[in-house]
Amino acid sequence: MSQPVSAISIKGLTKDFSVTLRGVKLRAVDALNLEVAEGQVYGLLGPNGSGKSTTIKIILGLLDATVGDVRVFGVPANQVEARRNVGYLPEAPYFYRYLSGRELVRFYARVCGVPKASLKARVDEVIAWVGLSGAADRRVGTYSKGMLQRIGLAQALVHDPKLIVLDEPTAGVDPVGSAEMCELIVKLKQQGKTVLITSHLLAQIEDVCDRVAILDRGKLIVEGSVLELVGQRDRQALIVDPLPAADLEALRGWLAARGHSLNSVEQPRARLDQLFLSKVSRPGRPGGGSGGVGSNEVPLDAKP
Amino acid sequence: MSVASVPFSFGRLGLIAGNTFLEAVRQKLFNFLLLLAVGLVASAQFFREFNFGSSELKFIADFGFGALIFFGSALTIATTAQLFFSEIENRTALTLLAKPLWRAEFVFGKFLGVFAVIGVFCALTIGLMIALLWHREGQLMVINPDDFANGRLIAYGDLLIVGLLQWLKFGVLTAIVLLIASFSNTNLFTVVTGFFVLVICHLQYLARDQWSNVDNVLLAGTVRVLSLVFPNFQLFNLADEIGQGAGVSGEVALRVAGYGVAYIAVIGGLAVYSFRNREI
Repeated sequence: MSQPVSAISIKGLTKDFSVTLRGVKLRAVDALNLEVAEGQVYGLLGPNGSGKSTTIKIILGLLDATVGDVRVFGVPANQVEARRNVGYLPEAPYFYRYLSGRELVRFYARVCGVPKASLKARVDEVIAWVGLSGAADRRVGTYSKGMLQRIGLAQALVHDPKLIVLDEPTAGVDPVGSAEMCELIVKLKQQGKTVLITSHLLAQIEDVCDRVAILDRGKLIVEGSVLELVGQRDRQALIVDPLPAADLEALRGWLAARGHSLNSVEQPRARLDQLFLSKVSRPGRPGGGSGGVGSNEVPLDAKP
Repeated sequence: MSVASVPFSFGRLGLIAGNTFLEAVRQKLFNFLLLLAVGLVASAQFFREFNFGSSELKFIADFGFGALIFFGSALTIATTAQLFFSEIENRTALTLLAKPLWRAEFVFGKFLGVFAVIGVFCALTIGLMIALLWHREGQLMVINPDDFANGRLIAYGDLLIVGLLQWLKFGVLTAIVLLIASFSNTNLFTVVTGFFVLVICHLQYLARDQWSNVDNVLLAGTVRVLSLVFPNFQLFNLADEIGQGAGVSGEVALRVAGYGVAYIAVIGGLAVYSFRNREI
């Protein structure tokens, strides 16, 4: 029985850049091995200069590997065929300012070979999915950063790729825009898409990723599922209503009698970003409710 | 795992060309140079008292072709470099080349987009020049009917042929600038080098004329190779043959056109090869 093909397979990847005319090399990625299974949301983390963007560019065929083998769904990444099933949202995307959002998505759809018969419906569908229907006929030059990210996601999804690569999708975007982007990523996962994401916002990565890899100076430092890496399997937290001091002592005694110890008693705290999102108004959610993605959203389970 | 191949697509190439054209005509530079050229051609009729001994109609034609060549060259170099580097510097090339798109489609799409822009420029400039000449010739036919006993003197078909050849020459220049841009890191370097190459291509016939007079075999060989590497832009300049003898020879025009197409194909191919290895 043949093994399932990974969405991304990286074996022994090394990338050197010449930084002087005398041939001095800078090693951006050093003997990297990674496997991203189909259907996962995979986080690629690391400080600036750790090799994340270089790795992504090699996966997309924009750079050639110095050494190593990189495959996308089994196809060598430097072949045009490998990009047939890939959607890419670059960091701080800049698009043709003179096109409207709809024209832009339509342009990329045609480049990707979306059939003419379904072109209009597909463009409208994906624009609605990212919540930009109301602004689709505005020129991209007038878009906010959050809207640029969303139209960027629309162009990445328009040909219904199996793998979506998001390079810093929340960079420069306010917490509302970031939260909406995270919701879109979760929706992509629900549709069975594979998502490779880099971000400096580690809390967001933790919320949406199945597995993460941490790079530093081009080397893989840590790799594993989020639960494995940050979960404390030898401990448990119980959230209860406030206990009077006497009851707390009784509980401590009860646990001690059974060979357990109460290690700490803390006041649970909401995360600041959650508080922020619950207080500010969001497009389509006045007063900070919960629900869809944007002012023109379609239901969360809508398939692009 | 077998995956269907992505064939070279003229449809995608056309999309890139169309987008490049759209971007170019929305740039101020294009509109500015177009206005300047059109203004200069239109103003030729006001200089007819200063025609430096040439016949008035020939002066208008020379003036028009002068404007076409000068502003066309500037527009070709600046537009090609600008449109190429805007994709790189604004990182729109990242998004585009991450799609199932061949780099050859990108390069030739850029070429065709710029070529179309220059085509519009040439058509407007030549069209205006022909209209001016037609109008003035009509006036002169009334004033001096004896000079026009056999009908109109100007071979308008020849004007169109020369205009088409100039457009083709700008196509060769576009391919050269794309080749430079494919390995250059800056817009400025591309523009400056493009102008140097333009001058070399216009003057290379001097080297071609001289190689037989050079005694040193090595130097003569070098001059000969260089004269082949750089296309001879003087070949495209058949404006002087308009109104002379039988006018512009169709056979010569076809051979010059073939020469231009061959250079576009070879230089364009080199640009694709160079860009294929470029790290974005």
